[in-house]
Amino acid sequence: MSFFNPVFAFVFVPLVVIIYNLFPKKLRAYVLLAISLLFFAFVSKWLILYLILSIVSVYLSGIGMQKLEEKKKEVLKTAEKEEKKAIKESYKKKRKFVLVLCIIFNVTFLFMFKYFNFFAVNLNLLMDYFKVGHQITIVKHIGPIGISFYTLEALSYVLDIYYGKIEADKNILRVALYLAFFPQLLEGPFARYSDTAEALYAGKKVTFESFTFGYQRILYGFAKKLIIADRLNIIVKSVFEDFNIYNGLTVFIGIASYTIMLYMEFSGTIDIVIGIGEMFGVKIPENFKQPFFAKNVSDFWTRWHISLGLWFKDYIFYPVSLSKSMKSLTSKAKKKLGNHYGPLLSGSVALLCVWLLNGLWHGAGWHYIFFGLYHFFMILMGNIFEPSVAKTCEKLKIDRRKKGYRIFQAVKTTILVFIGELFFRAPSLTVAFAMFGRMFNAASFRTGELLTFGMDIRDYVVLMIGLIGMFVMSIVREKGVDVRENISKKNIWTRWAIYYGLILLILIFGAYGQGYVPVDPIYADF
Amino acid sequence: MEELIEILEELQPDVDYETVDDLVDGRYLDSLTILSLISEIEDAFDVEIPTVEIIPANFNSAAKIWELIERLQEED
Repeated sequence: MSFFNPVFAFVFVPLVVIIYNLFPKKLRAYVLLAISLLFFAFVSKWLILYLILSIVSVYLSGIGMQKLEEKKKEVLKTAEKEEKKAIKESYKKKRKFVLVLCIIFNVTFLFMFKYFNFFAVNLNLLMDYFKVGHQITIVKHIGPIGISFYTLEALSYVLDIYYGKIEADKNILRVALYLAFFPQLLEGPFARYSDTAEALYAGKKVTFESFTFGYQRILYGFAKKLIIADRLNIIVKSVFEDFNIYNGLTVFIGIASYTIMLYMEFSGTIDIVIGIGEMFGVKIPENFKQPFFAKNVSDFWTRWHISLGLWFKDYIFYPVSLSKSMKSLTSKAKKKLGNHYGPLLSGSVALLCVWLLNGLWHGAGWHYIFFGLYHFFMILMGNIFEPSVAKTCEKLKIDRRKKGYRIFQAVKTTILVFIGELFFRAPSLTVAFAMFGRMFNAASFRTGELLTFGMDIRDYVVLMIGLIGMFVMSIVREKGVDVRENISKKNIWTRWAIYYGLILLILIFGAYGQGYVPVDPIYADF
Repeated sequence: MEELIEILEELQPDVDYETVDDLVDGRYLDSLTILSLISEIEDAFDVEIPTVEIIPANFNSAAKIWELIERLQEED
């Protein structure tokens, strides 16, 4: 199931809007929930059971933790001063027990569907090696679509209640709609309960303005996918399938094309999700912020798949690095190593946890784990050498804020990201390393190779214009200009000329029809 | 407040802490600097900053950090 399917974007979505608007305000949230659940059942059939179990589990855990908190406050009112600390600790433990139970319940589903076979295969290999006469049976099963997305979103709800950021919702239907809103089910982005739950439940009418505004964003997503991603897909497929027949530079072009294709496909999908949200008056958080302008790998991950990065930062990085033992480590290390290297040790332990989990979240395979560790290593190196780089630049009188240096940083980061994504895309670690080596072992280039993929000169010209267009848009947005707000201020003729122009561009230059294979929804597999 | 500004200047000089109000969003303070800052604040002001309070809104300016410290001291 892809959001780029015209039936979804131009038949299903308007139909949902019509049905939604036909109902009175009070009932609209329920209509949206029913549609979302039907949509999920249509894609994942009976596996909807797991989504429902997940919703019920986080709802009940939330209520449980809330009740414990209320009871604690009541007990504290009449408690003696010296008892208070013990009472607080006792209730904290109880709340933690409920939280851990809920996490185990949800993560078990995720593990069984996504990771069981990976661990079983590797354990079997290990048992073989040590000649243990037992093997774990490998079970083939398909997991519910988007399970990695809604599981993390569900966990964010209970974790926010545990940390006291939000209060548990007494209305299970509001929790259900927050977790099951159909555009977010496949590829996120993760929204926090405080971001979308209220607005979704409000049942705001879809107006002509919100409808067209939403479609403006949806069309932008389609342009990214059809004009750019689907053309790059031809290069990517050819190079990754048969990299041994191509020269080094062509292999590099294939590797670079993959990262750009991934960006266009994923951010294009997010444009559709955000656009649908805008129709219903729901502000779904942005997931990308000009990632290719990042100054280092760490900065890149604050601009790419932002909602995932924030999830790991809030629920893994800080809780680990600020745990009692890590805090004491930071405090001791700071006295000996100073303000930069002091927190580096605890920060790195937390960072390692983040990137191991980040790699595993993307998929059950050693190349995903390597992908995570690669980014951990790059960020760690950046942190270690930051003071030396700063000193060297100072000695050489290089102003790190100047445009030239920023361009150098962006190019360097982008190349490092290309390599990381190579390990992400390649079917195995062996292939990834072989492709990496091929870039240097066969470092010559024949332009003719580019025409063997099935793309003609016209395709390359359209691709280049598309890429330049997106690049200019990125520069404008990086400068803080809100292009959409500017368009909305134009008169009706200019606005509609822009909309029709965009539609025509997609229709004329979109890569569909014979000879084109659309990119599969990459992130929906997670 | 002065003590807080001193801590901030030691961790990250070249920032005008009187005026800058996007210390986190503007990426003046990265995750490691925040870890260092938290450790310094906890030692200097005898407070414990819970993970839940580590959000950009609480760390985007010296004034906001000071507000957080005062609030935590009151809660204690």
